[in-house]
Amino acid sequence: MNYKKYITLLFAGLVWLFAGHDALAQSMENFFKAAGTPVNPKVEISWNRYYTNAGLEDISRRLVDAYPDLATLESIGQSYEGREIWLLTVTNHQNKPHREKPGFWIDGNIHGNEIQGSEIALYTAWYLLENYGDNDFITQLMDEKVFYIAPTINPDGREHYMMEPNTVNTPRSGTIPLDDDGDGEKAEDGFDDLNNDGHITQMRRRNPYGRYIECPEDPRRMIPAPPDQFGDFDLLGFEGIDRDGDGRVNEDGVGRYDPNRDWGWNWQPDHIQRGAYHYPFALPENRAVKDFVMAHPNIAGAQTYHNTGGMILRGPGTAEDASLYTREDIRVYDAIGELGDRMLPGYRYWTLFEDLYTVYGGQIDWFHFGRGIFTYTNELFTSYKYFYEEYQTRDEGQKASYVFDRHLLFEDAFVDWEPFDHPQFGEIEIGGFKKNFGRVHPGFMLEQDAHRNMAFTLYHAYHTPQLEVTELTVKDLGRGLREVVAVVTNTRMTPTHAGIDLQYNINRPNYISLEGADVVSGMLVHNRDLNVVEEQKVNPEKLEIKNIPGMDSVTVKWIIDGGRRMSVTVDSPKGGVVRREL
Amino acid sequence: MVLLCAFLWLPLQLPASNDYSDHRQLTERLEALAGANPALASLESLTTTVGGKEIWLLSVGSGELTQRPAVAVVGGVSGDRLLGSELAISFAERLLDESGRDEVRQLLDSVTFYIFPDMSPDARAQYFAPLKYERFGNANPSDLDRDGRVGEDPYNDLNGDGMITMMRVEDPTGKWMKHPDDSRVMVKARVEKGERGGYRLLSEGIDEDQDGQWNEDGEEGVFFNRNFTYDYPAFSRGAGEHAVSEKETRAIADFLFEAKNVFAVISLGEADNLSHPLSYDPRKTSGRIISGWLEEDVKINQMVSHIYRSHLDVSDAEQVAGSPGDFFQWAYFHYGRFSFSTPGWWIPDAGEEDPSFGSKELNFLRWAEGKGMQDVFVPWEPVDHPDFPGRKVEVGGIVPFAMTTPPYHMVDSLLEGHYHFINEVARLRPQIDVLNLQKEELGRNLYRITADIANLGSFPATSQLGQRVRWVQKPVVRVELADGQKMMSGRTIDIIQSLEGHSSLERSWVVQGGGTLVLRAGSECAGFREIEITL
Repeated sequence: MNYKKYITLLFAGLVWLFAGHDALAQSMENFFKAAGTPVNPKVEISWNRYYTNAGLEDISRRLVDAYPDLATLESIGQSYEGREIWLLTVTNHQNKPHREKPGFWIDGNIHGNEIQGSEIALYTAWYLLENYGDNDFITQLMDEKVFYIAPTINPDGREHYMMEPNTVNTPRSGTIPLDDDGDGEKAEDGFDDLNNDGHITQMRRRNPYGRYIECPEDPRRMIPAPPDQFGDFDLLGFEGIDRDGDGRVNEDGVGRYDPNRDWGWNWQPDHIQRGAYHYPFALPENRAVKDFVMAHPNIAGAQTYHNTGGMILRGPGTAEDASLYTREDIRVYDAIGELGDRMLPGYRYWTLFEDLYTVYGGQIDWFHFGRGIFTYTNELFTSYKYFYEEYQTRDEGQKASYVFDRHLLFEDAFVDWEPFDHPQFGEIEIGGFKKNFGRVHPGFMLEQDAHRNMAFTLYHAYHTPQLEVTELTVKDLGRGLREVVAVVTNTRMTPTHAGIDLQYNINRPNYISLEGADVVSGMLVHNRDLNVVEEQKVNPEKLEIKNIPGMDSVTVKWIIDGGRRMSVTVDSPKGGVVRREL
Repeated sequence: MVLLCAFLWLPLQLPASNDYSDHRQLTERLEALAGANPALASLESLTTTVGGKEIWLLSVGSGELTQRPAVAVVGGVSGDRLLGSELAISFAERLLDESGRDEVRQLLDSVTFYIFPDMSPDARAQYFAPLKYERFGNANPSDLDRDGRVGEDPYNDLNGDGMITMMRVEDPTGKWMKHPDDSRVMVKARVEKGERGGYRLLSEGIDEDQDGQWNEDGEEGVFFNRNFTYDYPAFSRGAGEHAVSEKETRAIADFLFEAKNVFAVISLGEADNLSHPLSYDPRKTSGRIISGWLEEDVKINQMVSHIYRSHLDVSDAEQVAGSPGDFFQWAYFHYGRFSFSTPGWWIPDAGEEDPSFGSKELNFLRWAEGKGMQDVFVPWEPVDHPDFPGRKVEVGGIVPFAMTTPPYHMVDSLLEGHYHFINEVARLRPQIDVLNLQKEELGRNLYRITADIANLGSFPATSQLGQRVRWVQKPVVRVELADGQKMMSGRTIDIIQSLEGHSSLERSWVVQGGGTLVLRAGSECAGFREIEITL
């Protein structure tokens, strides 16, 4: 245990003594370290269950209480229903202001039912904090970078998903009531939890002329009858009744818009792409994220968590924007994405519009095109994880999910078919998979996937631009003039400015400044050996450098008059602020 | 002189009648209107701009405003066109002034007018400011040239006349030359005709940041008419950091999306589909993202344009289709309502100019001189310019706003035509009615009801595009049965996807049981009709 960690622990102990918090590790006698996991964390968290909004906030507070020098917690805005959108800022807060470090954004749960991104985001915060000072890589990462972690950016959707009866697919949106069926009424005919179990499962009705039968291998599963035979059942859809008498069931519930069609790049309205709301950032949750990101131009990389299907997605969302990804940027995306492909078994590294579907106004596109931030979206969980098998068809995957539930979950994920007297359909049966199965990880799988996804994002975060003044020399030119040459190197893969940023000047240029001397002339050196230079006539002491590419350097030169205690400051919107004395 | 008058008139309660109203005068006029007509007009501020100015909405009509068709009238779409704001408020003043007349009273009982007199108050204020220039952007500090510095290169009033005109700089490589017929007017040299330029032409000011561009990043922020989602020009000058980023753009969009009753939006700005209607182009309507009006909607544009031309002389007008991120196109393509726009005034053809140059400036000067207008031109005068030491630089040109905004005395005659035009659009509103109601006794307590759901107006119940738009309410026919009645055939909730003007659709129901049922048909933007039917 190093000194810093000791002090932190001591401080945390004092906090615990006075505040009664649980931020004190237990006695080590009981534990033996497993590789790669904190053996005796100050904040004990079970990573095999999901947390409500209250639970997420509680964990966030315990982390901040345990690591006051490394983590802060703030609300960046309120949801439609008035819930706070919490954000953890995780970094070594002692060595440098966080705004002067390259930043990395992580969020989860933009779709209300896609909950586990929140746990993965929080696992990341927890892992960084618990390993700071113990693990060299994590310590370096926390010293160099800042992580802005918003576990849920759709707390209303999360609350509704967990607390109200829902299917595995609902609610994708938040909870703004809208008129889904065009009859002028809002949210008048949503699901009905007929059997009061908190899950919206299926309705079936016995019918000797039906088209469905029970699957011989697992009678819980309904499959189509052979084409030339009648089955025993009708399938009647998700649990519900026709509340408004329009001849349709469950056609107008809460929400039913798509928070991931609400972002300000290549936005298109609902009639062109179902799901968009009124205009970009019309949803308060996204507006809060947007405002924060705009106010923190140091964010250079980002990760958003969705489910499901096992994908690492990069943009663009639409074919028409494909040409805006420069070859240089794609190389960076590919290098990180292809490693992720390996780190996350069963996941595929894909380009959104090409390999999945078209998305206008998606978050990933606003981050990349609107702000020049290198961003991935991971679609968490995949049926591959049941038995480490690839399924070619939907049917194969579904069949496997029943076997998995039977033998690994002991049928905990299924609501057995039970009779119900339906006011409109008569004698029916209700049953099927619960909402917590199929898209979110079963408990025992969560920690592993959290760790693997985190490891992928940490690799990405490590490769946000990292600047260093690698060479700084002075040469006498005679007649009292001197020449200062500075070489600034970006030691990681991501450039300070993405191609789109250079095209539209989204972020200001990098500044390389010389202090402590009268600058006569300042210039960017294109070729040092052959003296190909470009002079900056205005404000030569503060050179404007459009880009410092990844794994590359730029050289600048000043001709100065006098000069004593000189220093060079590199101030990059995404590469942070570094300084070197001459 | 203009400024002085505006200033002198300020303390008076009645609006100045010899010049356009500044924000304070506009506010006073609106408050006076709402105060004098409490039953017919209400005034609210939707938001306050970064420049501290209210975005006013005057709602005009009697009774329950939200449950019957509405026309939105929008001024200040473009900050350099003061006529738009003036027409919007003058329209409201005249409408309320005439509200004692029967036909106006009837209109106000059945139509709502949402009047937004000024959507660009920060920009429009520049007309009244000590330094006058044609401004589009609001007061939200912006880095217009995206160089990392905000507002570092504003205009500079080099000749101290309180306005920004042009600079011509003698330069053997310049592309501009003096017009052969009038040396005051600068035109581009036609290289293909062997002409040579001798001037650079720049706006009046200094290149403060020495970036080789003059006055490219001043006080102006985001342009109202470039901040909407349709064809949004990302990262272009004045567009903002993203679409609908500004308080005023959000305020009007939020209001309109909630206002389900708006069937037509009339913008008083740059675009013009009233003097000449848009035409139908199937190539623009076939893809996933459409960029042309749908066929049935073009027909309505033709009808409305015909009405416009019956009230206004449009012989000098030309069609202006709209510009990226503008309000007019948004109102059709994304809001899904009928959208009409007019500048309201066009500089007449003075008829004397050599058409081969097509100089609008020269045409304007000829016309203005013919009308005896003074003070429309600042004569070129040399100045010492720090960016061009030792070179001949002259400042001069057409006075700001002279070509975008007519002299104030013309407003009355322009209002006349626009007043009647907007009234007529409102009269042609979609109007749902229930016609030819029939009751048949089928015996043994069974009844059949047949009725025509009709639209008596000239506008369809929704635009053709609006049929696809989730936020546009289609007419709904609802049958509410009495206790003990049962629907045997027919729908209790029936959404009518499409109902053209002057057309109807037959519906029938079979009901078991006597009693009184309620048939309610319509929508906010096409009006409602409710009938009780006793069986």
